Amino acid sequence: MSAPETTPVAIGSARRAIKIALVFVGALLLCILAYLAVAVPASWFPSAQTRAWSAKDLSVARGAGTLAGGELVITSADAGGNVLVTLTTDFRSSEYAAVAWIAVDLPENADVQIFWRNEYRPERLNAVAASVESGRIAPVVLAGNKDWVGRITGLAIAVKGTLTKPIQIRGVVAKPMGAVEVLRDRAGEWFAFEGWTGTSINTITGGADVQDLPLPMLLAASVLLTVGIAFAWFRFRHGAAVVPMAGVLVGVFVGAWFLLDARWTWNLARQVAETTRQYGGMDIRGKHVAMPDGPLYLFVEKALAVMPKEPARVFVVADAAYFRNRAAYHLYPHNVYSAPVLNVIPAAASMRAGDWVLVAQRRGIQFDPAQQKLRWEGTQVVSAEMKLVEPGFALFKVL
Amino acid sequence: MDILLLIFGNGLVWMAGIALLLAVPLRGSAALEGGLLPWTLGCGWFAGAFALTLWMRALSAVQIPFGILSVGAPFLLIAAGGAVLFRPGARAAGMLSPRINAASLLGAQLQGWQRALWLAILAWLVLRYALLLGEVLVRPLYPWDAWTQWGTKARVWFELKTMAPFVPLAEWLQPGNTSYIDAAPHYPALVPLLQVWSALLVGAWNDVLVNFSWWLTALAFAFAIFGFLVRRGLQPLMALVVTWFVASLPILNVHVALAGYADLSMAAFLTLGVLAGLQWVSTRQWRDAALAVVLLAACVTIKNPGKAWLVVLLPGFVAALLPKGGVKVAGVMLALAIGAVLVLAQTKASVLGYQLRLNFVSPWRGLSDAWFAFGNWHLLWYGAIAVAVLGWRQLFSRELAPLTIVIGSGLLFLFFGFAFTNAAQWVADQSTVNRATLHLAPLVALWMALVFQRWHEAQVAKAPPASAPTMPETIAAA
Repeated sequence: MSAPETTPVAIGSARRAIKIALVFVGALLLCILAYLAVAVPASWFPSAQTRAWSAKDLSVARGAGTLAGGELVITSADAGGNVLVTLTTDFRSSEYAAVAWIAVDLPENADVQIFWRNEYRPERLNAVAASVESGRIAPVVLAGNKDWVGRITGLAIAVKGTLTKPIQIRGVVAKPMGAVEVLRDRAGEWFAFEGWTGTSINTITGGADVQDLPLPMLLAASVLLTVGIAFAWFRFRHGAAVVPMAGVLVGVFVGAWFLLDARWTWNLARQVAETTRQYGGMDIRGKHVAMPDGPLYLFVEKALAVMPKEPARVFVVADAAYFRNRAAYHLYPHNVYSAPVLNVIPAAASMRAGDWVLVAQRRGIQFDPAQQKLRWEGTQVVSAEMKLVEPGFALFKVL
Repeated sequence: MDILLLIFGNGLVWMAGIALLLAVPLRGSAALEGGLLPWTLGCGWFAGAFALTLWMRALSAVQIPFGILSVGAPFLLIAAGGAVLFRPGARAAGMLSPRINAASLLGAQLQGWQRALWLAILAWLVLRYALLLGEVLVRPLYPWDAWTQWGTKARVWFELKTMAPFVPLAEWLQPGNTSYIDAAPHYPALVPLLQVWSALLVGAWNDVLVNFSWWLTALAFAFAIFGFLVRRGLQPLMALVVTWFVASLPILNVHVALAGYADLSMAAFLTLGVLAGLQWVSTRQWRDAALAVVLLAACVTIKNPGKAWLVVLLPGFVAALLPKGGVKVAGVMLALAIGAVLVLAQTKASVLGYQLRLNFVSPWRGLSDAWFAFGNWHLLWYGAIAVAVLGWRQLFSRELAPLTIVIGSGLLFLFFGFAFTNAAQWVADQSTVNRATLHLAPLVALWMALVFQRWHEAQVAKAPPASAPTMPETIAAA
C-alpha cells in the first residue's frame, strides 16, 4: 500500500511571508511591552544608575564567613542557625526600586529575609521575605513598600536554615528597574551560558537558573498573537479564507522554534569549546585526572597497583556520595560496594579476610596500627592492615 | 585509529541490522515507496543493536568469552551476506546511485526558496550533529547514573568478558557470593552491552569512546523519523522540518552529549516500535510487523519502565487493529486500567519500584516549569496543545486515532506516575520529569505533524476552489 496522498501546506508569496514575519516581530514587541507594563515597578526611564557593592563591602554579623576569590563565603551559621550579613549604604530609595543580593548555593528551604534601615526611623529594622530559586535569591522589589522611604542607610540579609554547603555572596545591587534595565536583565538571563552540571541530564533551564520571563513563554505568546492578527486580517480583508492560516502557523511556529534553537545551539557550541578546552588532546588517563575527582582517581590508581589482579571484594566509604560512587566506579572490575545514597558502612560482621576497605574523606574511621584494628561508628571493628595512605585517603586489607 | 575501529565495528552492526530488515521481503511495489530508504537505514541501527545484545547474551549464557571475533563475526557474515543478496536489487532500484542519492540529499527536487530552506535545515542539522559528536568524543562519562548504574555493568562485563550477575545488597553480602553490585543491580542490559561492544572494539575501557553509540542512536533516529514521515505522505521538506524539531529538542541533545543514560535509547526504540506497528496496520507488510515486534520487545531490555510502556501502548494498538469500535474498546481499556490502578493504590503496592498511593500530589508547578518555562522542549508542548485544539475533529479519525490514543494513554501514564507515586518528588525537583517525558516526546512531535497535516487537508477540502493552494505556492514540490 502506498503512502496516503497529502496536500502540501501553502506558505504563499514571498511578499506575504515578509508581511507575516513583520507581524510576528510586531507581536513580539507587543508582548514585551505588555511584560514591561507589569514588570517595571516605577519609572520606565529613571535617571539613576545601578549601584553595586562587592563582597568586600559586606560584614558577617552572625555566622562565620571569609572573603575568598572576590566572594564572601559563609561556611556556617551561628548557634541559633542564623546567618546575618550587613552592608552600610547611602542612597535615595525613590531612585531604586529593587535590591538584588547576588548569592548562590542557598538551601532551597531556607527562610531568607531582606532588611533595610531608612533615615527617618534609623532604629527600626524593616524586612521583607525573599524567595530562593535554584539556590539563588530572587531580586526583591521594594518600590511601593511604605518603609522604603528617604535615604537607605543600611541593607542586610538573614538566612535561617541548615547550610548543606557554603553560601557564596558576590555582592549586592540596587536597581532602578527601568524598562531598559529590565530588558537587559531578561536578555542576560536568556543568553547566560548554561554549562553542564550534574543536573543537566535532568533539566535544561534555557539560560540563567532563575528567569523572570522564560523565552519559550514569550515566543509562544508572540506566535499566538501573530496567528490571531493574521486570522483577523485574512477574515476581514479576504473573507473566510482559512486555508492560508496553515502556512502562517507553520511559518511563525518554525521561526519561533528557530530562535529558541539558535540560542540552544550557541550554548551547545560554547559548551563544546569549554569541554575541548578542559579535555581536548588528553588521553583517557589525563582526562580522568582533569576531572573534579582527579585526586581520588590518582589514589585509586595507586590502590589498584597494591591490590591483587583478580577481582576482590572492596568496601568504599566516604562522607560524600560523589566520592563513594566515583571511587567504586574507578575500582571496577573489583567487586565493589559503596552505599549509593546514605553514608553508611555495612556491619563489621559482613566483612571477611581478603576484603578491602577504601576510605576517601570519611570522618569517624580510626585505625590502630599497633593492634591492626580498623574501627568505625564507634562499635564496628575488623582486623586490618593499612596498605596505602595519603591525606584524605587510605586503603586497608581485612585480615 | 580507535575512531576508525568504532566506526567499522558499529557500522557493521548497523549494516547487519539493515540486512536483517531487508531479509523480510516487501510485497507489491512497496519497495519503491518514498521514504523507505531512510526508514530502513535508520531502523537498521536499532535492529542491529538489539540483535547484537541478544547475541552477547547468548555468548554469555554458553560461556563463550566476549571478543571482537566472537561478538562481531556473525554480524560481519550477516552484513556481507546482506550486501551480496540485496545489492543487485537496491542498485536496480537506484538506491545505491551516488548521483541520485546526492541529488535527493541536496534537495534537487525542490526549487527556489524551498531548496534554500531544505539546504539551510540540512546544514543546521549537520552543525548540530557535529557539535554533539565533538562533545561525545571528548568528555568522559559524566552524568551520575551513567557511572553508578549503567557504566558499572559495562565495565565489569568488558573486563570479565562475560555478563557477571549484579544482585541486591542482601544477596551480595551472603557468604560465598561472587555476584556484583552497583546502585541499580536490577537494571536491564541493552545499554551496557552496547558500551561493552565499543570497548571491545578499542580494546580497553575508554569511557569516552564507549559513548559513541549514543551519537549513532541519535543519527539513526533522525533518518528513521524522516523516512517514516515521507512514508506517511508528508512532503520531504515538511518531513525534514519535523525531523529537525525532534533532533533539536534540547533534552534529547543533552542525552546524546552527556551520554551514559538509557533514556535516549528508550525514546528511540519506543518511538520507532510504535511507528512500525502503526505502519504495519496500514501496509500489512511483514517487515513492518517484524520490526515493530523487535523494537518493542527491545524496550523491556532497556529500562524497567519499558514494560509499563508496552502496556500503555495496548489501547492504541487495539484501536488500530479494530477500525470499527476500536476507539471505544480502547476507552474501556483505559478506564479499566485507571480503575485497576486505583484499587492497587489502596494496597500501597510497589510497581517497577514506584510506590502507588492515593494521596494526590499536584505536580502542576514542576510539570509546567519543565514543559513550558524551561528550555527542555523548545515549543513542543505549546505546539501539541495548539494542534490538539485546531485538529480536534481529526484526532479520532480512523487514520489518527491509534496514535492519538497512544499519546493520550502515554500522557495519562506520565501524569499518573507524577501525581500518584513517589515520583511526584522527582517532578518538583526536576530530576525525573523530563527524562520520563523524553520517552514519549518524539511521538508527540510526530503526532503533532500528522494531525496538523490532516487538519490542513480538511481545511482545503472545505474551502472553495479559489482559495486552495496552487503548486507554485506549496511548501514543497511533490
